[in-house]
Formats: sequence, structure tokens, C-alpha cells
Amino acid sequence: MEPQQDPVVVRHRELERIANMALRAGRIMMESGASVSVVHNGVGMIARGFGVDDVGMRSGYASLEVTVHAGGNTITRMMQVGRLGVNHRLDQAIRRLAVRVSHGGMSVDEVEAEIARLVKETPRHPAWVVAVAVGIACASFGRLLGVDWPAFTAILIAGTVGQYVRHQLLHNGVNVFIVAGLIAFLSATLGGVGAILLKSGTISLAMMASILLLVPGVPSTNAQTDIMDGYPTMGSARAVWVLMIMVFASVGVWFAEALLGLRSL
Amino acid sequence: MVELLPHLLHQAVFGALAAAGFGVLFNFGFRALPWCAAAGALALAVRTVGQDLAWSLEGASFAAAIVTSCSVSALRKQLGPACNAVGLAGCIPMVPGAFFGQALLGFLSVTAPNLVDAEATLILAVQSLLRVIFTLGAIGAGLLIPAHLLRNQDF
Repeated sequence: MEPQQDPVVVRHRELERIANMALRAGRIMMESGASVSVVHNGVGMIARGFGVDDVGMRSGYASLEVTVHAGGNTITRMMQVGRLGVNHRLDQAIRRLAVRVSHGGMSVDEVEAEIARLVKETPRHPAWVVAVAVGIACASFGRLLGVDWPAFTAILIAGTVGQYVRHQLLHNGVNVFIVAGLIAFLSATLGGVGAILLKSGTISLAMMASILLLVPGVPSTNAQTDIMDGYPTMGSARAVWVLMIMVFASVGVWFAEALLGLRSL
Repeated sequence: MVELLPHLLHQAVFGALAAAGFGVLFNFGFRALPWCAAAGALALAVRTVGQDLAWSLEGASFAAAIVTSCSVSALRKQLGPACNAVGLAGCIPMVPGAFFGQALLGFLSVTAPNLVDAEATLILAVQSLLRVIFTLGAIGAGLLIPAHLLRNQDF
């Protein structure tokens, strides 16, 4: 005789799948640079697309929690969030998926498969293209700060090398703050040595511009957005993260300046 | 105004390059990158004009962020929900990362032994830090206020 299935347990299992799948979408958005309100809206849209009546969410820096309520049943689930970065195309793709799911007509399996496909197939620029682009961006930052043309070339090379090494270190799971310190030291040293060799008159500015790839512009703006949207805890966490990155980056520049004899330790 | 043009053009071109470069880092698609560059050029052009009118860096950055945010909002039909992200990428070249570094290096210097002019070093560091805070606040507020008032869609 087959054991009789408890309908409450069955419904809980269904809700659990919806909650976990919505959280997975939210986690990807969060890791791709979305603000908390966007993540909450996206998760809410996906859950409601499956007939969930109420959705409650809480966001921490390293985890997301959702409570879904439907047909008298309620469950709460939590999911770990990984390193927060920026991936515009993946973020936008998940947002479009959330809109499609909110219109109804998709199964949980279909949405899970679509999320997996987007994660796997959303294109990324090759690492060397990103490195060259970041080098150009750093050198352009340098021009905006007032460096001369010899320093422009030095920053371009330092920024490119710095970004490529940063990519490799992060890819190998090295702590993001240690990476910030190491890359600041490497890029500032390369930028400084290059500026000296090319007889630049703006060596210190060149060293500073070479590390601007590390300045977390999106997290600092997201920190403000989160606070303005009513999530001061997350906003504060982001702000502290930004400060820590800059502290490590500054220490890296400090050591680079000491190495080149521009500052005493 | 005519004598300002070469400087304005210089700032706009390098603002565009910086925004597009960071756009690649943020994994914007090739179709969105020219919009990032245009937003960067516009932001730096407005900030340069503001500073030429003797506005503070904070005031000029606020005006530049407002104009950039309004402009990308006007292009909502072309850009879709990505318009806010394009505006943000355009304002990235205005993020005062160099001042942030200078502020922290200044604070590190204050704790150094045998410091000669501690007061001047400290004041410079505090000035840089305040400039970072106010400029970041100005950019964030300038981007967010139009986006909220014009009800830009996130999805």
C-alpha cells in the first residue's frame, strides 16, 4: 500500500521550489550589481507569477531570505549570496526573465532551466579585451586628472596589466581585499616606473590614476540607492566594503611610493 | 566660451573613453557601449562647464549627474530598463577615486613618525575626504532624483 501524501507537505514542497528558484534569480541579480529594491521586486515578480499571494524579503550583504505565502501555507527560505560584482548583461537578462515569469504560463522547471541557461550563455567580454578597456579607462581618468602624455602611456600599460592580474587572482578565489592591495601595489609601481622612464612630470598622479580600476563606483552608488530606498543596513554594509577596498588600495599605493623612493615607510 | 572649447572637448572625449572602458568591465553589450560613452562625454562636458563657471566640484558633479540622468531618461524608449545603468556608467568618470586615495594616504601620513607639518597634512586629508563624500553624494543624488521623479522602470 502506498503511503498517503499529506497535501500540506505537498504544497510546502511546491512553495519551496518557487522560493528557492526566485531566490536563485535574486542572488544572480544581487551578484550582478542590482540594488536591493530591484532584487526584491524581481523576486516578488517571479514568486507572484506562480500564484504566490504574499512575498516578504530580507537582504543581507551575504544572504537573501524570502517568505512566500499561498493558499494558507507559508514557508521561509534563505540563500547565500556570493561576491558582489557587476555584470550588466546578466542582470538585465534576469530582469527580462522576471517580467516573463510574472505574466504566468511558465513552470518552475522551465524557469530554473532558463536561469541556468542565462548564467551559462550570457556573453562576457574576453579577459584581455576587458584588461585593455580598463587600461584605456585608467589612462583617460589620468588625463581628466591632468597627467601629461608620457604618463598616459604608462597608466595605460599599468591599468591593463593590473586588470588582467586582478581577473586571474579573483578567478582563483583570492580574497577581494587582498587583491585590491596587491593590484594597487602592482599598478602603482608599474605606472610610477613607466612615468619615470618616459620622463613624465606627473609621476604621483600617474601612480594614483593607475589604481583607479579599483575604485568601486557601482557599489558606492548602490550604497546610496539602498539607503534612499529604505535599506540602510545593506547600504551601510556596501559603504563599509567600499571604504575597506580603498584602505587596502591606499596601502598598496603607499608601499609602491615607498619602493620608488617617493615616500618613507 | 570659444577658448573653453578645446578643454571641453578634451574632457568630453576622455570622459567618453573612461565611461566606455568601465562599460566593458561592467559587461555592457556592444550596442550599449556607445550610449555609455555618450553619457560619459555629456557628464564631463557639463561638469567642465560648471567648473568653468566657478562652481565647486560637488556642485558641478551634481549638475552633470542630473543632466545625464534626465538625458538617459528621455531615451527610455531606446534604452529600456537599462537607461539607469547607462546613466551610472556615464557618471563613473566623475567618481573622485583619486581624492579618496589622497585622503587615505594623507591619514596614513599623519601617523608617520617625525611628521613635519601635521596640521597641513591633516587638513588636506580631511578636505579630500569631505570632497569625496560630498561629490559621491552629489553624483548619487543627481542620478537618483530624476530617475525617481520620472519613474524610470527597473524592469
